[in-house]
Order: sequence, then structure tokens, then C-alpha cells
Amino acid sequence: MTTQLKLIPGHKKELQAPPVLQVSKLSKVFKTGDGPMTVLQDVHFQVAEGEFLCVLGPSGCGKTTLLNVLAGFEKPSAGKALLEETPIMESGPDRCVVFQEDTLFPWLTVKENIAFGVKGLSKKEKREKTNHFLDLVGLTPFGDYLPREISGGMKKRVSLARVLILQPRILLMDEPFGALDAQTREEMQDLLLSLWNQFHHTIVFITHDIDEAVALADRILVMQKDPGMIAKEIRVRLSRPRERTESSFQDYCKALYQALKKPQP
Amino acid sequence: MKATQNLDAQDGFAMTFNKPNGWMNSFIPWILPALFFMGWFLVSRFEIIPAYLMPSPRQVGEAGVMYAFGTPGEGPYAGRFWVDAWVSCGRVLAGFSLAALFGIPLGVLSGRVDAMQKTLSTSINALRAVPGICWLPLAMVWFGIGYKTTLFLVALAAFFPIYINTAVGARQVSPLLFQAGAMLGVRRMNAVFSILLPGAMPSILAGLRLGLGISWAYLVLGELTGVPNGLGAVIMDARMLGRIDIIIVGIVLIALLGRTSDLLLSGVFRLCFKSARRLA
Ligand SMILES: Nc1ncnc2c1ncn2[C@@H]1O[C@H](COP(=O)(O)OP(=O)(O)O)[C@@H](O)[C@H]1O
Ligand SMILES: [Mg+2]
Repeated sequence: MTTQLKLIPGHKKELQAPPVLQVSKLSKVFKTGDGPMTVLQDVHFQVAEGEFLCVLGPSGCGKTTLLNVLAGFEKPSAGKALLEETPIMESGPDRCVVFQEDTLFPWLTVKENIAFGVKGLSKKEKREKTNHFLDLVGLTPFGDYLPREISGGMKKRVSLARVLILQPRILLMDEPFGALDAQTREEMQDLLLSLWNQFHHTIVFITHDIDEAVALADRILVMQKDPGMIAKEIRVRLSRPRERTESSFQDYCKALYQALKKPQP
Repeated sequence: MKATQNLDAQDGFAMTFNKPNGWMNSFIPWILPALFFMGWFLVSRFEIIPAYLMPSPRQVGEAGVMYAFGTPGEGPYAGRFWVDAWVSCGRVLAGFSLAALFGIPLGVLSGRVDAMQKTLSTSINALRAVPGICWLPLAMVWFGIGYKTTLFLVALAAFFPIYINTAVGARQVSPLLFQAGAMLGVRRMNAVFSILLPGAMPSILAGLRLGLGISWAYLVLGELTGVPNGLGAVIMDARMLGRIDIIIVGIVLIALLGRTSDLLLSGVFRLCFKSARRLA
């Protein structure tokens, strides 16, 4: 409990605040050709203000489905998902998503993509805000490029900037760096952590990569497959910045590896 | 590095050929027309085909100049071009606009709404299988000779490529883009304009260009039925008077107008829409 509190120094009042996200007894059943398929079963967890939560699980265990419910793209079959005590009904800019796939608008430049969701500002304010977020993700020289003209890592930076600019209550990220090469992935993780250190976003970060989870998370939910449910919860009590080579880091990786491998009762 | 250089050296021809601004590129398109003109010149010079069937390039050129720049009344076709072109362009524009007015919305609907697709596709594909010329007798009975029949034929023929390409384009816009839009605060109806149409733009524009090309074909068909003016009418008229030179002038002018209107259409879309500029 204590690790999570120290993330928001100086905000005593918020310490007692209710969780930003509350997921209770959430299930999702898809109707398929051969009968109903339970993809999520009794998923239950909370996310506190400013917390960095990772959901770790093998492919096909329902991570994207969980995120789709949280984002409002899918309705739960049973159970509830509450954002600050309001049930999540449809998608909206208070719960922004960075997708697994490339979802930039190919007919808009980097800047136009970042500014896409911004509303209610004068042209000048909008331009300044866009430039500010362009700079935050280190893409200032590429503002007028089209998505097809930049690399995969840069696209992810744009995807990040276009949601950060909306100041969502919670940031949902679905294996955002999964398709990147190892070096770019680490750069992106560092970027995300440095932004998080500055702004204390509340983040749900989905991944199948053990290293990534340990490097990023305050707390890791390990998911199992068939049906998708939370098998284990691990709080990562490592100081930041974290060193992958340290033995304590490796210990967490081993524990998670065991948790993923262990046949479920 | 070394290997690439060697390859370039060996492939000298291919390199020149592929360079976007190489002199070859501006030269190559004119080879066929040049050969054609040479052949034509030789054929008429040595009277391989008699002049009443195939007039000489010179005769056709003179007829063209007369048709476009002659003083009206000077000869049978003198100076008529501007009126004919104006009338024909107006008919194409009207028929084509009508086709786009129905084709784009219906295409978007059947691309995105399954029920709409089921309702429309069989009927539209059946109609599409009917060669456009089959409608001519019916159109003449319904609309008489002239403007309305031409309009009907042009609109009908141009509708299908516009509708089909729009539907394909609309269907191919990734659902993830709509999710991304919704997550960024785009309302359902706004998504049509901010995501669907831009995303489908390359297909829509391709459909419009095909439709415009077909418009010219059916314009001539409509005008052949015996209207007083228009490029198709001139061609028909010239046939009856045995003026092969004017027929050829008419064909060349329709080709020029068709190509110009195509460039104009693409140009206007590029000017007006980012998506046409950046995707197509
Ligand atoms: N709309 C759907 N209809 C039917 N089955 C689905 C649907 N979406 C996902 N699934 C199934 O749910 C399971 C979990 O998918 P997903 O959430 O994408 O897993 P993950 O993101 O963890 O790889 C998969 O077996 C997938 O086939
Ligand atoms: Mg997934």
C-alpha cells in the first residue's frame, strides 16, 4: 500500500481519494459459431490515482478485450467497470487508448494527428499546445511529416502525444511497444516513464513482456488464459530508475515467469 | 554499398527509366503518337487508303482550325466548336454530378451498413450487368431526343463505378480508425466526415475518375440520337455529310476534353481535400 501512496507527494487530499478505476466481477462472453466463449471471468481490480498498473498475460488471454471494455468499445457481459464511480458506457477522451496497431490517421500530418482531439481552443492556442506536446515526445523536427514517412517508434510517440494532449483521467495502453525492436522499445519505455514522472498519469499498461512489466509497473496483474482471469498480483517494490541487470529486477522477472508458467488449478 | 553501385552501373537503362524526372520519361509517352502520325502521313501521302475514307493529316488539321476558329457562316462547321464544347461539357457535368450525388452516399451506406449492402447490392449489380446502350431505346421513349436522354444515360453509366468504388473504399477503412476517433471524442455522425470519407478518399476519387471517363462515352451516345448541337451531334452530322475530317476532329477534341476534365477533377480534389492530396 505504501509504495503506491508515495507516488503523489504533496497531494495529501488525494491520498484518501477513491480509486480512479474500479473493475468488479467483470466477465465478457462472446457468442461464437460453436457456442458462447468466456473470454474474461470475474476480473476484479482497482487502479489508484497516479498508479502505473501493468496487466501481464499470454496472447489470447483476453487483455485486449479487457481494455476494450475499459475504453468503452465493448460492453461487459456481467460485472461493472467504474471510472471515478461512474459506469463506463461509451468511449471518450477521459479514457484514452494507445493501441497495439498503428491507428494514426494517414491523411493527417504528425501535428494534425496530435491536434485531432483538441477542442474549444483558438487556432493560436491549439497550435501552441500541439507544439508543446510535439516537443514533449521529441518530435519537433517531424511535425509536418505524414505517418507513412516516419518510423514505427515515431508513430508510437505521435500516438502517445495525441492522447496526452487531452489530459485523460486514465491512460489505457495495449501492448503499445510490442511491434518495436528491442532498442526502440526501451527508448519508448524510458520516454513513457519520464512523462509519467512529470505528470503522474494513471496508467493501465497491457503487455505480454515480463521485462517490460517489471521495468514499468508499480503493480502487475498476471492474467491466465481460458478463461481470462487474474491469477496473481505482484507489487513491484523497486526504486526508480530501475536497472534491468540488477538481481532484484531479475528476481521479479523469475517470479513472474513462474506465475505465468504455473498450471492453474 | 559496393554491390549496389555495381548494380546501378549495370542497370543504367533501368535507372534512367525509373528516375521520376529523367528525360526518357517525358519522351516515352510521345513515341506512339509520333509513330501513328508518321504512319498516317505515309498512308495518305501514297494514297494507300483513298482520301474519302482517310483524309490526310493536313486536311484534318485545317478542318480542326476551321471548326474551332473559323467565322460562323464561313463554312458548314466554321466556328461551331465553342458552342458544341460548352453544351457537351454542361451535359457531362450535369449527368456526372447527378451520378456522384447518388453514387457517393449510397456507396458509403452500402460499404458501412450491412443491411444496406444486402438490400442494394444484388439489384445494383444486376442493373450494372446491363450494357448502358440497352437503355437508349427506353430513354428515347421516356425522355425524347436530346438533353434529358443524354443526361439520363450519362448519369446512369457514371453511377456504377462511383457507387462501387465508394462502397469498397468505405468498407476498407479500418474499424480501428473509428475506435481511435471515438476515443479522441469524435461523435458518430462526425466520423463520416472526419474519418470515413478521408479514409475512403483514394477509392472515391478513383470511382469519380472512372465515372467521368464513362460520362464522355455516354455523352456521345446520347448526342448521336440527333440533337442540334454538341460534339457527338457534330460527329453524327459529319457522318451524314461524308466529312470524315470533321469526324476525326470531333474524336480528337473529345479525347482532349476527356483528358482535361480528368486532370481538372483530380486537381480540384487535391486542392480541396488533404486526403486526396496525401493519399491518392
Ligand atoms: N469480438 C470477438 N468475438 C469473438 N471472440 C473474440 C472477439 N474478440 C476477441 N475474441 C477472442 O477472445 C480471446 C482473447 O482475445 P484478446 O482479448 O484479443 O487477447 P489478447 O489481447 O490477450 O491477445 C481470443 O481467443 C479471441 O479470439
Ligand atoms: Mg491483444
